[in-house]
Amino acid sequence: MGHYVSPLRIPLIEGNKTYHDITNDICAPTERTPSALWVLGFAISVAFLALYVFIITWTIWKGIGSWNLNRTIGWGWDITNFVWWVGIGHAGTLISAILLLFRQRWRTGVNRAAEAMTIFAVICAGQFPIFHMGRVWLAFFVFPYPNTRGPLWLNFNSPLMWDVFALSTYFTVSLLFWYTGLVPDFATVRDRAKGLRWKIYNFLSFGWTGSAKHWQRWESLSLILAGLSTPLVLSVHTIVSFDFATSVIPGWHTTIFPPYFVAGAIFSGFAMVLTLMIIARKVLNLEQYITIEHIESMNKVILLTGSIVGVAYLTELFVAWYSGYIYEQFAFYNRVLGPYWWSYVGMMTCNVISPQFFWSKKIRRSIAWTFGLSIVVNIGMWFERFVIIATTLARDYLPSSWSYYTPSWVEVGMFLGSIGLFFTCFLIFTRVAPVVAIAEIKSILKVAGDQYIGPKAKKHDNH
Amino acid sequence: MKNKEQNVWTGIEHLNPSPEFLENANQEFLHGQEEIPIPITEQSLSLSSNRRDFLKYLGFGIGAATIAASCEIPVKRALPYVTKPDTIVPGVANYYASSFVKGGDYCSILVKTREGRPIKIEGNSLSPVTKGGTNARTQASVLDLYDTNRYQTPKKVESGKVKEVKWADLDRDVMAKLNSATGIRILSNTILSPTAKKAIGEFTTKYPNAKWVSYDPVSASGLLDANLESFGDRVVPAYSFDKANVIVGFDCDFLGTWISPIEYAAQYATNRRVEDVKAAKMSRHYQVESHMSLTGSNADNRILVKPSEQGAAIAALYNAVASQLGSATISGPKLNDKASKAMAGVAKDLIANKGASLVVSGSNNKYEQILVNKINDLLGNYGATISFNNASLQRTGDDAALQQLVSEMNAGSVGVLIVIDANPVYDLPNGEQFKQAMAKVGLKVSTAAVPSETAVVCDYIAPANNYLESWADAEPKRGSYSLIQPTISPLFDTRQFEASLLVWAASPAYDTKAEQPYYEYLKSSWQSGMFGQQKAFSTFQSFWDSTLHDGILENPKSSNAGAFRGEVADFGSKLTQPSSSELEISFYETINVGDGSYATNPWLQELPDPVTRTVWGNYLAVPVGWKGEAKYDTFKGLKDGDLVDLEVNGKKLRVPVITQFGQMPGTLGLALGYGRTEASVTGKNVGVNSFNMASVVNGATAYSSDKVKVSGKVGTEKDFSCVQYHHTMGVTGTDNKTKQKINVDELAAVTLGAGYQGSIVPRTIIRKAHVSEVSKFAETLHEERLGHQALNAKTLYRKHDEKYKTGIHWGMHIDLNSCIGCGACSVACMSENNVPVVGKHEVHRHHEMSWLRIDRYFYGTLENPNTVYQPMMCQHCDNAPCENVCPVAATNHSMEGINQMTYNRCIGTRYCANNCPYKVRRFNWLDYTTADLFPSNEYSINNEKVRFGADNLTRMVLNPDVTVRTRGVIEKCSFCIQRVQEGKLTAKSENRQLRDGDVKSACMTACPTGAITFGNINDPESAVSKKNANSINYLVLEEVNVAPNVMYSAKIINSNESLDA
Repeated sequence: MGHYVSPLRIPLIEGNKTYHDITNDICAPTERTPSALWVLGFAISVAFLALYVFIITWTIWKGIGSWNLNRTIGWGWDITNFVWWVGIGHAGTLISAILLLFRQRWRTGVNRAAEAMTIFAVICAGQFPIFHMGRVWLAFFVFPYPNTRGPLWLNFNSPLMWDVFALSTYFTVSLLFWYTGLVPDFATVRDRAKGLRWKIYNFLSFGWTGSAKHWQRWESLSLILAGLSTPLVLSVHTIVSFDFATSVIPGWHTTIFPPYFVAGAIFSGFAMVLTLMIIARKVLNLEQYITIEHIESMNKVILLTGSIVGVAYLTELFVAWYSGYIYEQFAFYNRVLGPYWWSYVGMMTCNVISPQFFWSKKIRRSIAWTFGLSIVVNIGMWFERFVIIATTLARDYLPSSWSYYTPSWVEVGMFLGSIGLFFTCFLIFTRVAPVVAIAEIKSILKVAGDQYIGPKAKKHDNH
Repeated sequence: MKNKEQNVWTGIEHLNPSPEFLENANQEFLHGQEEIPIPITEQSLSLSSNRRDFLKYLGFGIGAATIAASCEIPVKRALPYVTKPDTIVPGVANYYASSFVKGGDYCSILVKTREGRPIKIEGNSLSPVTKGGTNARTQASVLDLYDTNRYQTPKKVESGKVKEVKWADLDRDVMAKLNSATGIRILSNTILSPTAKKAIGEFTTKYPNAKWVSYDPVSASGLLDANLESFGDRVVPAYSFDKANVIVGFDCDFLGTWISPIEYAAQYATNRRVEDVKAAKMSRHYQVESHMSLTGSNADNRILVKPSEQGAAIAALYNAVASQLGSATISGPKLNDKASKAMAGVAKDLIANKGASLVVSGSNNKYEQILVNKINDLLGNYGATISFNNASLQRTGDDAALQQLVSEMNAGSVGVLIVIDANPVYDLPNGEQFKQAMAKVGLKVSTAAVPSETAVVCDYIAPANNYLESWADAEPKRGSYSLIQPTISPLFDTRQFEASLLVWAASPAYDTKAEQPYYEYLKSSWQSGMFGQQKAFSTFQSFWDSTLHDGILENPKSSNAGAFRGEVADFGSKLTQPSSSELEISFYETINVGDGSYATNPWLQELPDPVTRTVWGNYLAVPVGWKGEAKYDTFKGLKDGDLVDLEVNGKKLRVPVITQFGQMPGTLGLALGYGRTEASVTGKNVGVNSFNMASVVNGATAYSSDKVKVSGKVGTEKDFSCVQYHHTMGVTGTDNKTKQKINVDELAAVTLGAGYQGSIVPRTIIRKAHVSEVSKFAETLHEERLGHQALNAKTLYRKHDEKYKTGIHWGMHIDLNSCIGCGACSVACMSENNVPVVGKHEVHRHHEMSWLRIDRYFYGTLENPNTVYQPMMCQHCDNAPCENVCPVAATNHSMEGINQMTYNRCIGTRYCANNCPYKVRRFNWLDYTTADLFPSNEYSINNEKVRFGADNLTRMVLNPDVTVRTRGVIEKCSFCIQRVQEGKLTAKSENRQLRDGDVKSACMTACPTGAITFGNINDPESAVSKKNANSINYLVLEEVNVAPNVMYSAKIINSNESLDA
């Protein structure tokens, strides 16, 4: 142990774990037969995934007319869900990249699962811009591929185009970062496995031997990827917000969107991490690795980002009033008091009021409260995107074209189906990969294990 | 390199090389040949496949090819002409002058044909009647030609079963009956054709006990009888709305449906334009009505009277005029206070414009019409704004004769009834009675072209041609003739009714052996008739060729109508008496389905009613009020789309409701012409039939009733389809508490909380002013626009717009003052651009596809608002917000300023539609055009078996110059790019510059009032440039800086402000 650890630091790993205990505990879920709870969860998820496949087939076969969008409201639940899922993904990247830079050691307990969540959320998010296309079979037009039509290139002015690059970059980097982290852990699982499992994990671990050279290269690669990911945390949702901010529609055309979207994304991402982790630590017996300390830290982030979005909402209202621009004024007036008032109330209650409970330490450290509020926050963030997209479009410049929109069963089904897709992926992940980064958590054992620091710490010779 | 070899070593072996190392260093694979990954054997080197491999590949290849080839790929053959007809050049359109005639509806037209099939109707600018204008019905009429439900052969109905028969058999059977029949009656609507009248004459000569009876479903019998009594001439006189400075309409929809709306609209608009701000002058239009008609919506002042008060209102105006002019007044029935006060003001205005005013009434009460004649007479309008020379023949029906026919039929004295295209079973107030009476007629023959309620109860159906397949003529106004020429051979085994009558009359002048018998008959009729009346041509052939080319002939005739005669002193009791009933209803004709004969046309069904903005059905218009709350107060608290039970004169219907601004409190309105039960499938069972709720009063049909009961809400209309949810642009009311005028529109726009003022009215969408303050308005507008332009000039891209300043730059000007909202442009656009019809359910979902819509806003006082119509289509912005958001550049800007849509590139993200401030982009939500691979997706618009869009006959109407769009792509107004291209190519092939007028968009040519001007705005001499110079022009949403290329000129009204006070 090279450096001094403040005695005030609370242990991040409980239960007097040895390195061997860590290996055993974390690899266990991949080695035993799944619990009944897992099987049940998986069955439900796959059922929803099947629904998703049906809905997509239906949409492609019948056309977007099977949705209830109309001449005035061209985007509804589809893009709402897209932005919602992208936002959820942000926590994983933030935890692995930004918290790494800020030397937040508690991140090691949750980063693996959070990154997995990022990848699955981005997969879900990507579904919507693809399948909301009227002619999805021509979706490849959005890529700059060599062609004989001129060649005909893309419209690089279009924010949708920027989305294509933003999302594909984000997905690629996140996937690489996550997988890189998994390589030594796969090797750990391989070393404990036999037969076919050995073969599979041997393949997945790319022949990892744990030599000093491997570790050195692994560290370098992780650092590079962390460096690449850091700007992505900010850029992806900034670009998603450009879909709206660069338009001419009052209620969309606002410069506040990039910071507001990023804060919102982190807000919803952490809420989703909490929802998942609270279940996972219980089901997978990882309470000693994902502790109340972790939950409290994340709740603090939620409190902060929730308050940022709250300020953003109020700023929007202020700017609408202060601008003196009647279209902007009406857009916000309509947003709050118009036919979709209930979604604005939902958004405000869930996103701005509900996180304020976390000022109380007791609530921050209560699993039940945290779990409940994490779900409330995600509902609120869904409302936020719905408010921005559908409410704004429903009543824009020309009163003659004002309309109203309620989703069809196909749109609702697609949203539920995407949740099925997400949980199917996530549940498979909990069975095949170590849910906590073994190598990384081992690296902090001596600075954050309860046998080394905190009230129950023993004296060690090497101090 | 040398240095490198000497100094650089990469391992210890290099320094001190062993022979083994040197040997290995030159080999790629360390351990000799056997380690090379691909084993080299004799077989692998020879590269020849063996017999078995060959057979395997052969088998797979054939199998795969067979499977691929057996997938059914539809074969569509395009055959070249073996002998090319002289007049047809593939790809080049031919235009033929003709006339659209349906009953009394008339329009002089040019028929555009491509490769021998009519695809579009244009107005004929040579016509002095319609002056190149059209209306929605005329534009849509080409679709009727391709109606799949047309009778394709003659039919015989035997004990309820319909059998096909041969013409010869039908003629034999009919003639046998005719020869033995006691009473023969021909029943038709108004017939405009002098030659057809001649044929009927031959028929009645041959069968002396035959009589011709004509009626009009929406009757003008009262007007005709009044003119007979006042002037001895049973016609509708020629009105000159252009010469009138004050126009008063009593429940008379002369811009939309009354007598000759295209003609009147053109006249009306000439006196409503404000082109010179300094000397702004326009006519003043008062409309006296209960339900807001298209004409009423264009009026400067609407005076609300109940339907039963129409007579009282006319009497009140008569008394006001007469007393001021010192004539005798009459003791008229009592009128409501507000209206009778207003009448004094109207009378003052009329007298100030003696000889330059016009009073018209749509009443079917003879005495009311005589009183109107008297008013006009007192005002000296005869000879000035009204003339019996060139009188209109567009309504000649006689209600009394019709009712006489019913009693004759009931008495069993009618042996043969020949129904020419009329549909009395459906469109008479006592249609059911008529149907029962028909059962007592020995032989009933119908010449209906499509199934109708009347045709299906006839014994024989001798189907007539469509007018586009026929030779005929028309005389819409005395001395104004026009010809109808076929533009396609009859598609089916049909025969025009004139020919049938002549065959049955065994006319010697009708040569059945001739190639085109009726053509010969028509020609000889013209030779003996019209040719002799003119002096311009010396030979008949040149006369005929010229007339056929122009489509029209003017042979002015003077009238022998005398001066007004008759007394009105005792009329007080003969007028409609005001009812004390709390609720009254009026029935009105709409511009689209009219008397119901147009209800089978999907284009017209899909055209939103200009006033209610509803489609595919009729809706009970109920009044809207305000009681100082945050919500509007509607009749019985009903909402749009609520179903109610309506009982009128004991007849019950369940109808959906539309809340209607401008509907007088205590009155209701319901459109006629819907609820057809026997019709083409696309028009079947759409809406409800209200004809049978009208009543016969003193032998004439009255289109209102005071015996009305309406239940509360009993349900909700399944597919309530109104294309506009928000109808107002700031209607004002007086707040109960503050006693201040506030904007109720803005108050009621939100769901929660009290209203916020100032968010809708200041929008730069509609600009309006009173004619008295136009110059001031122009200055304010100029200043405001300068402010916007100054902000818009702040740009990062300074030279962006410069490229548009050279060459051609297409632009459009729309005059909101000329636009009357008639919808002709909308239908013309559908026809020209292959815009799909989507049906009621899809419009209910706001999936309508119209490229050009007419937004309608109410403004002014809440109880009695004014209306403004705004044609809205793609504005072809030079800073188009749609263009920069498309990820695949499917929409882009041409060098000529047109916002182009590349359907093949579109992937359907709909981002462009979201980002359009004008919401004019349309997405193909479903397979409306049946372009899909999957037949299961073919879209049905009204439960038709062969889908409307998939029907090969219907598809013949498609414009081959315009791509039919597939599911999943965006489409929108293209400024008729195909016409732009055609104009440019023509100029190029003629080796000249493009001239102004070479390119006219479909909406521009369709407009009866010239409200739309299209052209090159870089040419200072073009018509559009000149119109764009008007100082009351503005761009919609200019401050958004999208730089639209469509300019609007402000709505100016000339209301009499003293009337409201």
